Amino acid sequence: MFLSRTQLITALGAVMLALYVLDLVRRRKLSEEYSLLWVMATTVIAVLGFSTPLLTWLTDALGFLGESSTTFAFGLAFSLAMLLYLSLKLSRIGYENHALTRELALLRHEVEALREGREGAPR
Amino acid sequence: MSAPRVLVVVPAHDEEESLPGTLAELRERAPGADVLVVDDGSHDGTGRVAREAGVAVLRHPVNLGVGAALQTGFRWAVARDYDVTVQLDADGQHDPAYLSSLVTPVLAGRCDVCIGSRFVSATGYRAPWNRRLGMLLFSGVVRLALGRPISDTTSGFRAYGRAVMQVCQHDFPKDFPDAPLLIALARRGFRLDEVPVVMRERHAGRSFYTISKQLYYPYKNLLASLMALIRRPI
Repeated sequence: MFLSRTQLITALGAVMLALYVLDLVRRRKLSEEYSLLWVMATTVIAVLGFSTPLLTWLTDALGFLGESSTTFAFGLAFSLAMLLYLSLKLSRIGYENHALTRELALLRHEVEALREGREGAPR
Repeated sequence: MSAPRVLVVVPAHDEEESLPGTLAELRERAPGADVLVVDDGSHDGTGRVAREAGVAVLRHPVNLGVGAALQTGFRWAVARDYDVTVQLDADGQHDPAYLSSLVTPVLAGRCDVCIGSRFVSATGYRAPWNRRLGMLLFSGVVRLALGRPISDTTSGFRAYGRAVMQVCQHDFPKDFPDAPLLIALARRGFRLDEVPVVMRERHAGRSFYTISKQLYYPYKNLLASLMALIRRPI
């Protein structure tokens, strides 16, 4: 099994990143849903890096000029997918943030009204 | 010594059709248990029908997921010193007649979580093939992790003891508290057990399980179970 230098570097880099991600999961720094994506991405890159037949077949099938292009293309594709996913997550968090802010405003009004009522001050 | 306090938590998202029937049945079949409905960001009248039924209601301003709603229930239960909390689905699939068989082992100290399983004895329940495959896969993973078989890892019909609630109020899966949660709890030393139950069809409304979720769920749960094996316990 002949591995080009590029393949070796990419594959080892992917494996190291995967191990780091798993350690972040172990230490509870990375939540489950993000960890799934990262482990998936790094696994695919590592597999491509370590498997020359697979990489060659993909390169021919996709019409790329060199094997390294295939690896980089997958890396880029995952980066874009991750960015898109993060955009979706941020959109949702932004919406939730607004909803919570509104609830707070309404609750604050209720609390102030209750407080004024309790102190007996005429409203 | 006072009587043990049992809380039934009903997580509900857009269940205004099913909820009144479920709450009425609870009132009739389990009058000794307190009920808390957690309205998980519903857009319909779920919160209103719960209030009209006279039960305690907590309303999430946004939809977080059934696990998060249950976690809110745990916060409430711990703050009010409940001894055991039972999750009961709003759609009527869980029969309140089983409440005592779920609660008794936990109150007796025989286990910390008691799961109402559809598969412990032959109950004639047949899920669709893809769900069965998913459940089989997870039963296998859980058995490996726990050293004992749990035949129904996706059943939401469970009783949780006080010590488990204390832990879960701080950290709990936000969507489906299934195999990864059971593994995490077992790793923390909690004891799990199962009792047989029979579940029914939903009263009304749509099922949550769309096609895309059915494809994604087993894969995601498998990886999450593996993560649960390596994560540092809470």
